[in-house]
Order: sequence, then C-alpha cells, then structure tokens
Amino acid sequence: MIAFEHVGKRYGGRFEALANLDFRVRRGEMVFLTGHSGAGKSSLLRLIMRLERPTRGRVLVAGHDIDRLHPTQVPFYRRQIGVVFQDHQLLFDRSIFHNVALPLEIQGIEPREAARRVRAALDKVGLLHREKALPIELSGGEQQRVGIARAVVNKPALLLADEPTGNLDPQLSADIMTLFEDFHRIGTTVMIASHDLALITRLRHRTLRLHDGRLVADEEAA
Amino acid sequence: MSRDAAPARGARTHRTTAGSRWRGWLRHHRAMCLDSARRLLVHPLGSLMTMLAIAIALVLPAGLWLTLDSARLLDAELEQSATLTLYLEHGIGEDEARRLEATVAAEAGVAGTRLVTAAEGMAEFQQALGLSDALHRLDENPLPASIVVRPRDPSPEVVRAQAERLGELAGIDEVRLDLAWLERLRHLAALGQRVILALGVLFGLGVLLVVGNTIRLAVENRRQEIEVVTLIGATHAFVRRPFLYSGAWFGLGGGLLACGLLVLGRDWLSAPVTALAASYGANFRLPALGMEGSAILLACSTLLGWLGAWITVSRHLAGIRPR
Ligand SMILES: Nc1ncnc2c1ncn2[C@@H]1O[C@H](COP(=O)(O)OP(=O)(O)OP(=O)(O)O)[C@@H](O)[C@H]1O
Ligand SMILES: [Mg+2]
Repeated sequence: MIAFEHVGKRYGGRFEALANLDFRVRRGEMVFLTGHSGAGKSSLLRLIMRLERPTRGRVLVAGHDIDRLHPTQVPFYRRQIGVVFQDHQLLFDRSIFHNVALPLEIQGIEPREAARRVRAALDKVGLLHREKALPIELSGGEQQRVGIARAVVNKPALLLADEPTGNLDPQLSADIMTLFEDFHRIGTTVMIASHDLALITRLRHRTLRLHDGRLVADEEAA
Repeated sequence: MSRDAAPARGARTHRTTAGSRWRGWLRHHRAMCLDSARRLLVHPLGSLMTMLAIAIALVLPAGLWLTLDSARLLDAELEQSATLTLYLEHGIGEDEARRLEATVAAEAGVAGTRLVTAAEGMAEFQQALGLSDALHRLDENPLPASIVVRPRDPSPEVVRAQAERLGELAGIDEVRLDLAWLERLRHLAALGQRVILALGVLFGLGVLLVVGNTIRLAVENRRQEIEVVTLIGATHAFVRRPFLYSGAWFGLGGGLLACGLLVLGRDWLSAPVTALAASYGANFRLPALGMEGSAILLACSTLLGWLGAWITVSRHLAGIRPR
C-alpha cells in the first residue's frame, strides 16, 4: 500500500528532516510510528498525504509515485486518505456535525446519505449527543475525537493519524486505539504516529521507530 | 494514484455515478450561491459600500454611453435632413425655375426636391429672424429663388460630388452645402466613442479592483477554512466557488445600484436638458436605460464581479498552503 524508496526530505535546503527512509506497508496493515519529538513523524505522514514532496527518493501509494500526480489529481488522491491531524484542524464556526460532514460535502455526497454516515462516525467516537455543539464548546480530547470521526466518515482505504491520543486520558486512548483496530480489522491500512510507548507496546502491532529522521527500528509485532 | 486507480476498498466505497456527481455539483453551487448571499447580509453596511463603489464606477461610462447612443440617433436624423441648396441666378422667372427643378429632380442620386421661390424665401427668412419690419422697408426682394435637394445618399463625399455636378447646370448660381458641421459632429461622436471605451475599460478595471480587494479580505478571513478543506481533498474549484458567488453578488448589487443612479440622474437632468434643447428648436430628450440596457448593464457588472473574484482567489490560493 505504501512504499518509501530511499526517501529524503530537507526543509529549506540544509536541514535534513528525513533521511534515506526505505520501508513498505502492506495493504490492510496497522503500523505505529514512534520517535522523539522532532524525529520526523509528522513529516513522514505529510509526505504520504502529498502535503510535502520528497527531496530524494520516491513515495509510492497503491503502486503510484505520488510525486508524479498532476496538481489537479491531488485533491482526489487526498479523498482516499483519512487523516487525523496533530492539531485537529477543525472549523470553529461550524457545528460538530458539519465538521464531520465536510469530506462528504466536498465529494458532493447526497445530504441524507451524508447525515447517516456522519451520525455513524460520531457514534463510533461517542459524540453523537454533541453533534450540534461548536468545537469551541468541546474539550481538547473531544475535539480530537471529532477529528477522528471526520477522518473515518469517508471509510478511507488508508487512515493516517498524527498523535490521535495526545490529549486523551488512558481509558479514552485505549478506546480510540480499539477504534483504529476495528478499521484495521475490516481491511483499512492504518498508520499511527504516537509517543505513547506504553500503549503501543501493549497493542502489539508493527512499529517503525524514527530517530533524527532516520528509521532506526522496524519491529514486527511479537 | 488517480481517481480510477484508487485503492481497491476505496474504489468500492467511493463509487459515484456521473448523475450523482452532477447532482452533488449542482447542490454545492446552490448552497454556495445562498451561503455567499447570506454572508453579504451579515455585514450589510460593508456590502453596501462595496456595491456603491462598484455602482459609482459603472454610472459614468454607462451614462456617457447612453448619451452618445442618443446623440447617434440625433446624428442619423440630421443626416436625413442633410440637404443641398441650389441658388438660382437672379432674374429667373418662376416657370423657368420649375423647369430647372424638374431637371434637378431627374438627376441620379436625388431623392427629392423642393422649390423655394424668392417670395417664399423671403417669408421664411422673416419668420426665422423676426425682422419683418426691417425687410419690409426693402423695395426689392434681394433673395434669389432656390431649390432644396435631398440627396439619396447623405454621406459627405457623395453629397459633395453631387453638389459639384449640380452646380454646372445652367441657371444655377451657387450651390451651398453645409456639411462641415455634420462632419464635425461625426468626428465628435467618434471621439466620444473612444473616450467612453477608454473610460469603460478604466472603470471596469476599477470594479475589478474593488471586488478584488473585498474578496481578498474575505479569503484572508477564511484562510483556515481554506486550508482545512484543501487538506481533506477539496479542489480549487470547490474552494473558489463561494468567493466567485460573492463577487457575482457584489457585481449584481453594484449594477442594480447603478441602474437606480442612472434613473435618478435622468430625472434630475431631464427637465433642464429638454428645456435647453427646446431653446435650440431641437426635440431632444435624455435617453432612458430601458429593459435591454438594464439587462446589459447588470450582466456586465455581474460578470465583472465574478471575474474580479476569480482573479483574486486564484492569485491567493497559490499562496495558501496547508500546514
Ligand atoms: N515546514 C517546515 N519547515 C522547516 N522545518 C520543518 C518543517 N516541518 C518540520 N520541520 C522540522 O522537521 C523536523 C521533524 O519535524 P516533525 O514535525 O516531522 O517532527 P515530529 O516527529 O512530528 O515531532 P512531534 O512529535 O513534536 O510532533 C523538526 O526538526 C522540524 O523542526
Ligand atoms: Mg508531529
């Protein structure tokens, strides 16, 4: 599903945020991405989303070199990926419902069908009763879950999450991870960047460890 | 990975028929059309200011164009009345004069003739100048008889050639054609047309700038929203759409205001202009915009608003990169 071929990424010409990354993620796999702050986890995910382009090597998704995508194709490519952002990226002037509905609106999904899917996604993250609230009225953890609902509302084939449990208490973190595992179980490829080593170790999935932009460990689940 | 090369699962869950995509597209257009109108109404005063600025930029060229258009009508009327006057030699009697008139009437390119005998000429002259007393004191009528010729083709070159030809007929003393003023008027009209075109272009640019500036602020205000929707797969067209509708609404509003201003201006000026024209013996009325004119003005202003928004949003989208 995802293949990094000797990928390097420099910001501003000098600083090497990622160096010589070479790995593959199979379709339907669930992978954790760890590393210290600044190790390059977000950068790696941004490469997959084509928010950044590699300065070296190739990133292939579903067999296609995404650097070769024409700019007009990029939006359609992004619609195939569900992303949970480190900083939520919610719209603060819209209700929870409309935030989650945004990807469907962009794709022109019929409103009734969209509403059904939005409610299903909100139900999964346990926020169905807050659908009319504005993001500002929600706690950080709840906002994070809205972000997750928005990422999965489209039933994407590939799910990327950048610190999805960053603001959650241990119980909620575990619940959210279970949610990701559910998606993994129905065939979604899932890639999660996280600091939460305790949780990662407990969940026993393949783990990629970054250090200063290099892949220092690629451990299959025991 | 293009649309058709989507990952297998994605391809299944995202399958949409052309029909449903088309409906979705229409739905978004409708939604954005209404949403942008609603946003205008949220800041009524600010929106009104923008529209007024657009209206002011439109009123001048539109008003001048109307005036010129009616001047063109006047011009056509004047051409209709373009005539040659053939003054007959002194001492030619009325019978002789009638014969001459028949000869002239038979000439090619002559649409009509009218004989003005010396006495009639005198009467007209007196009436026009109101000098009856002074002229009555003259013993002898100093005016010659004349034939007024209405040429078939009133264009100056043709008329001039005709004048030369007719002047060679026996018994014709002098041919008078007063084309200079007609030509002057025509040059003036051409000049006016160019001035209005230039003004139209300049003020059209002004409208683009006004709309562009307003839309630029709107884009800045909604920057975060643009970034987010871009992150989750919105196309440029999708992002642009609400702003294009805003621009079109601004243009339409400005156009409507301009129509209103033109109507007011016409009411304001029409009495003195008609009176002025009447004092020159002309029957000139200030032109009204009319249905067709209003439609053209509104279409132009809406299009300008849309275009201004398009240029601005396109320029700014390039600068907005999701974080
Ligand atoms: N747009 C950018 N311009 C310049 N440098 C950047 C940019 N984005 C990231 N970096 C740098 O690249 C390195 C990796 O950043 P990245 O955000 O990928 O780290 P991270 O592993 O996600 O860290 P964290 O756990 O704190 O989120 C950092 O040193 C950061 O300063
Ligand atoms: Mg990060």
